[in-house]
Amino acid sequence: MRRRNSLYIFTIPALLVLALFFIHPVLLTLDMSFTSYKGIGEAKDVGWRNYDRIFSRERYYSEIWLTLWYTVIVVTALTILGLFFAAMLHRLPLIRNFARAALYTPAMMSFVVVGYVWQFLYSPLNGGINVALRDLGLGALEQNWLGDPALAIYSVAFTQIWMFTGFTCAIFLAGFAGIPEEINEAGRLEGANSWQRFRYLELPLLGPAITVSVTLTTIGTLRTFELPFILTKGGPDGATRLLSIEIIDNLFGQYKFGFASALSIIMLIIVLTVAFVQNKILRDREDVS
Amino acid sequence: MSDLTQTLPQVKSGPDWVLIRKRTRSFIAHAFVLTLVAIMLLPLFYMVMMSFKTSTEIAQDPLGLPESLYWGNYMAALSSMGYVRSVLNSIGITISVIVVVVLTGAMAAYPLARMNNRISKTIVMVMALGLATPNFVTITPIYVIFRDLGLLDSYLGIVLAFAALKLPLAVFFYTGFIAAIPMDLEEAAKLDNCNSWQIFWHVIRPLLAPVTATLSLFIMIMVWNDFIYPLLLLTDKSKLTVMIAVYKFVGNTGIDPTKLFPAAVLGSLPLLIMFVAFQRKIMAGATAGAVK
Repeated sequence: MRRRNSLYIFTIPALLVLALFFIHPVLLTLDMSFTSYKGIGEAKDVGWRNYDRIFSRERYYSEIWLTLWYTVIVVTALTILGLFFAAMLHRLPLIRNFARAALYTPAMMSFVVVGYVWQFLYSPLNGGINVALRDLGLGALEQNWLGDPALAIYSVAFTQIWMFTGFTCAIFLAGFAGIPEEINEAGRLEGANSWQRFRYLELPLLGPAITVSVTLTTIGTLRTFELPFILTKGGPDGATRLLSIEIIDNLFGQYKFGFASALSIIMLIIVLTVAFVQNKILRDREDVS
Repeated sequence: MSDLTQTLPQVKSGPDWVLIRKRTRSFIAHAFVLTLVAIMLLPLFYMVMMSFKTSTEIAQDPLGLPESLYWGNYMAALSSMGYVRSVLNSIGITISVIVVVVLTGAMAAYPLARMNNRISKTIVMVMALGLATPNFVTITPIYVIFRDLGLLDSYLGIVLAFAALKLPLAVFFYTGFIAAIPMDLEEAAKLDNCNSWQIFWHVIRPLLAPVTATLSLFIMIMVWNDFIYPLLLLTDKSKLTVMIAVYKFVGNTGIDPTKLFPAAVLGSLPLLIMFVAFQRKIMAGATAGAVK
């Protein structure tokens, strides 16, 4: 047994890297969140003042709600669209691999590139979407997609959904591939149509795939930063100011390192809580069905 | 009655309606899904198309196809965005991160795969936390630490920062894989008086190639596409990665489509070529864990 424990020596290089560039930074964030550190000079201890400020102002609550709302929209759409495409492609083996790769292509691209291209697509005058609407005789539907505060958050969400539909589709296709063929065969003999087989035979068996897909897209979406940063910079009028944008703006726009750290800690707690609770609920659901 | 219905189609030697209906339905389903996929790809088509249009064409006919393939936008972009240099930087950083992550990740995974006690569980916990933590939670302190250590603007710094980001994923990949390697192989080596390191290096490591390949592709995608780390940790113009080159090139000028689109294509092209070449490997890795 003693000899075996010496094996843990092998973990030292990895733990060293993580200690230096993950654990230490997280602890430092926690430490800085109780100071008014501005990036240079002395870090003055301010106790809980940064947190008091966050919890006493309406705007931070609304940014947290916006972040959660944005995540709900994106994750719901990604799950439904991914399931839809996967269910269709599972039934169409001829085009399955091609379509899966084609749908996945946007997920291979950088947020920077996707952000810029969609910023131009959304632009009010010569942007692709408005011009296409005009050409189709639907000029009445033209919008200032990113400039209208009521619309901007949905435009950003739409882009993110476009980007990752192929990702959830690929996960669900892997789930479908794990369903034994006999089950569907039995369903077909019982006279179940395509929709019934999906609803009553396949969907319950996709539990693990749903858990993975929802967990990964939730964590990924909660920490979305690059897309709104490129598309709207949090505007117009703070309509797309997600918690992540608020953090980056405090950091590198205003050099409020201390305050940004407090926001980061709140963010970390939200991400970990959501991921934990969600995983627990989804796993329990899997066991029942 | 049943005899009658069964022989009916043969008596009526006309078209087989059941088969035709089935074929038509299948054709419609294929066409429907392919149309949807094509719609999803429209923005990419738009990006490539726009990159070949002159500024007058873009202004006069924003959605039309280009008259001819106009390479001028690409010439201008290539000559001023520092593209080749940034590609070399990204490749160099990618390779270094892969070496660090693969080596330390595989080593750490070996004991975690072979032992299941409190130490293992604690380490796995830390890894899971690392996977879930948004990287801008750690970016401030990393910036401060790097500044104090003089690692800002150095390749070493950014390589280690990226390595820490992908290490947890590597450990999970390798742990799962090593756990599936039969113990018999190790027992045989032990009888030959190999120590733990020799077993790891000569027995386990050679078997890890498939995981290493997948992992390397993931690291490449991340290093290529990541935005925030290189934006904040590298400022020297000669050290920029591809995406920062794209960001600076496009961002400095407002939205000028003759710059935006060629830069977007150039920025995505190498990775898209890799994707076409290694599509199966990338898709398999992306969905690992979806099925228990």
